[in-house]
Amino acid sequence: MKFSSWFKGIRLPRPPLAAPPVELPAPEKVFLPLRQHRGAAAEPKVEPGQSVKMGQVVGASDEFESAAVHATVSGTVEAIKQVSDPAGQLVSTVVIANDDADAWAPELVALEPPYNNAAGVTQTRPSRLLKRVREAGLVRAAVQGRPLHVELSPPMAPQSYLYMTGIPVMRPLDTLIIKAVDNDPPVSPNLSCLGLAGDRLEMGVAALARISGARRVILALPSGADSGGLAALAKANQWETVTVCQTHYPYTLDNLLVLSLTGREVPSPYGEPRDVGVVVEPLITALDVGQVLATGRPVLDRFFTVAGEVNKPQTFRVRLGTPIGQVLQAAGGPAKAGKIIVGGPMMGLAQYDPHAPVTRETEGVFVQAADSVRRFTDQPCIHCGRCVSVCPVNLMPSELGKLCEFHHFEAAADMDLLSCIECGCCAYVCPSRRPMVHYLRHGKSEVLARRMES
Amino acid sequence: MNENLLVVSTSPHLLGRLTLRSMHLEIMLAMTPAFLVGLYYFGLPALSTVVLAVAGALASDYLIGLLTKKPARLEDLHTALMGFMMGMILAPGAPWWLCLLSGALAVTLGKLIFGGLGSYPLNPVLVAWAAMSLSWSAGMNHFLEPLALGAAGKWTQAQTPLMQLKGDIATLAGVYEMKNLWLGAVPAAVGAGSSVALLAGGIYLIIRRLIPWQIPLGVLLGAVGMVLLATYTDRRVVEMGLDSFGARLDVAWFHLATGGLMISAFFLGPEPVTSPVTPWGTFLFGLGIGIMTIIVRSWGSWVDGAYYGVMLMNLATPLLDRIRPRVLGKVVTGA
Repeated sequence: MKFSSWFKGIRLPRPPLAAPPVELPAPEKVFLPLRQHRGAAAEPKVEPGQSVKMGQVVGASDEFESAAVHATVSGTVEAIKQVSDPAGQLVSTVVIANDDADAWAPELVALEPPYNNAAGVTQTRPSRLLKRVREAGLVRAAVQGRPLHVELSPPMAPQSYLYMTGIPVMRPLDTLIIKAVDNDPPVSPNLSCLGLAGDRLEMGVAALARISGARRVILALPSGADSGGLAALAKANQWETVTVCQTHYPYTLDNLLVLSLTGREVPSPYGEPRDVGVVVEPLITALDVGQVLATGRPVLDRFFTVAGEVNKPQTFRVRLGTPIGQVLQAAGGPAKAGKIIVGGPMMGLAQYDPHAPVTRETEGVFVQAADSVRRFTDQPCIHCGRCVSVCPVNLMPSELGKLCEFHHFEAAADMDLLSCIECGCCAYVCPSRRPMVHYLRHGKSEVLARRMES
Repeated sequence: MNENLLVVSTSPHLLGRLTLRSMHLEIMLAMTPAFLVGLYYFGLPALSTVVLAVAGALASDYLIGLLTKKPARLEDLHTALMGFMMGMILAPGAPWWLCLLSGALAVTLGKLIFGGLGSYPLNPVLVAWAAMSLSWSAGMNHFLEPLALGAAGKWTQAQTPLMQLKGDIATLAGVYEMKNLWLGAVPAAVGAGSSVALLAGGIYLIIRRLIPWQIPLGVLLGAVGMVLLATYTDRRVVEMGLDSFGARLDVAWFHLATGGLMISAFFLGPEPVTSPVTPWGTFLFGLGIGIMTIIVRSWGSWVDGAYYGVMLMNLATPLLDRIRPRVLGKVVTGA
């Protein structure tokens, strides 16, 4: 990590020590949005009234950038209706009433495990592994997350913005970063899964490296946490291990992690780690891939952390499609919730409806009680420069915020508005409590809309 | 209202503890040691100067709020801070109406006329200071001979070291004891005298990251560099026959300890609204203040150049803000 970046970003309180994940029983009803990823929405493959089994495909699409949706309980399809997803948008959703039989689909019942160990994985053709991953419909856990099989493929076509400007394009993916740190603590599913190191993780990482073609595997471990058997596993597999400060926000975000671990700058705006030959995958994804390969079945549940002001902050293993409100109840529930935030406290999305389902795009929820909700103000910017000194990508948020507030969007775009990563550090340190991220997001959407028009 | 409604807003959902009020309170806290030293040496006149300046500032802000039907935001303490700062740079012997007027002018002419907090181009305190110095220089220069607390005696008017320096360049060489200069036991403005106390307050602000460290560093480096340059090139100083480098450095320490340099370096210069924000911009801003100060003191007609140096560099702030660091990952075109 560069010396100058040590003073950038903000220091968050250390998250409480994470307990291992707890299994949550399947709910009475699951809500399966047909779009749980960036790209094309899946088309429904079932009809209301039809009975479905676990693992049966209920939605799929022929588009490449799309992911299949599987039934996560066995039972009857109740309806296909519009339900608001964690991003706050109405998505057509398959509602399945659980019959508590937990019966797997016939083709998945008696199945030879396709792979028993990592050696078997590395001897398989990457395309076969990719097919399995694609069928399992895994998705990066972020709002507008890419399907995993897209993330693992090298950029399909030369990215025009790279060629136009003449910097060398590194097409092949050569490095895989498995990050056991979390984007936005205290929502920390990765941290609580540190103890799950084992065969499946080994297989998952081997498959990720095999598919992407990465020769170098870097394991980013959180500082100050017991990494369990992970260090030994890394040594046995010749993965490099790097300790990353978990409380130095936002230096655990993908692009900044790539910079500090490999020294490569992800081009901005629109760039992603793949453009500089790096794939970044969270630990929980590697575990999921391992499970898919070890069982041959799609993953129907996911690690989901409930943090913040609940009685018992905990990471759960939750069936996809469970309403978030039910997960909150299992965590002891907030007495009087002020904010329910999917994602973490710094970058998450506040929900208006606690019935939004857990999807593949979510990794946890952060709860604030009503009286600890912080409010923004309309006070003017006092030009103190604190935001400039913390901005991890060297923007001038104060100027951009003023320009966007008064609708000078193109002027803001000239000052690299689009390079903003929306980490929220500027709003965190602002003494005027200005809604900086709101201004910048508004400006970005306006600029992009105008560019689409012209 | 429905009890179960959830709050929805953009991220981030955590905010830091700093508010405008606490920030201004901390700056006032950092100035307090210097103010206490001023009270120790100048007693009641110093107290009344500061109190009147603060009162003038608060009253004028409130009244103008009433007139314009736009309630003043006194609770963010910015007006109080401006009044406090104004009092700190006034001469302790200034007449009561002058103190009151200075505070009022700082808020009206310096701050409100440009649109209030966040909008003014020049440091409001210095706008008022400049206006008062040009209009009533006798009152502004009514400095007092320091009397330690409890010492018997009457307040007598005196000249500050820099005034002495204007008349007689030999003041540089040991007329004043260096210890008295740094502690503030010489005729000086209420709060600008004790450089040690100002330094302590400034370092507190830097540690709390309320002011950028580059500005004070730039001011001090610029001033020391310029003084050294002056000792080698200014004929009058050369004729004094400073032989060793240490003697030349003593001249630099003299300049650092006197006048408004320290309060400019740590409080007036880094005033948030009127100072740049980028790393190199802030450093150049400070450097400019330091250089300007010494140029005016050595060769100008004015006694102290620190305040004019700050005002001049305030005007350069929009320019300095264009010196930006490279955006991370930005692809440089045409390179």
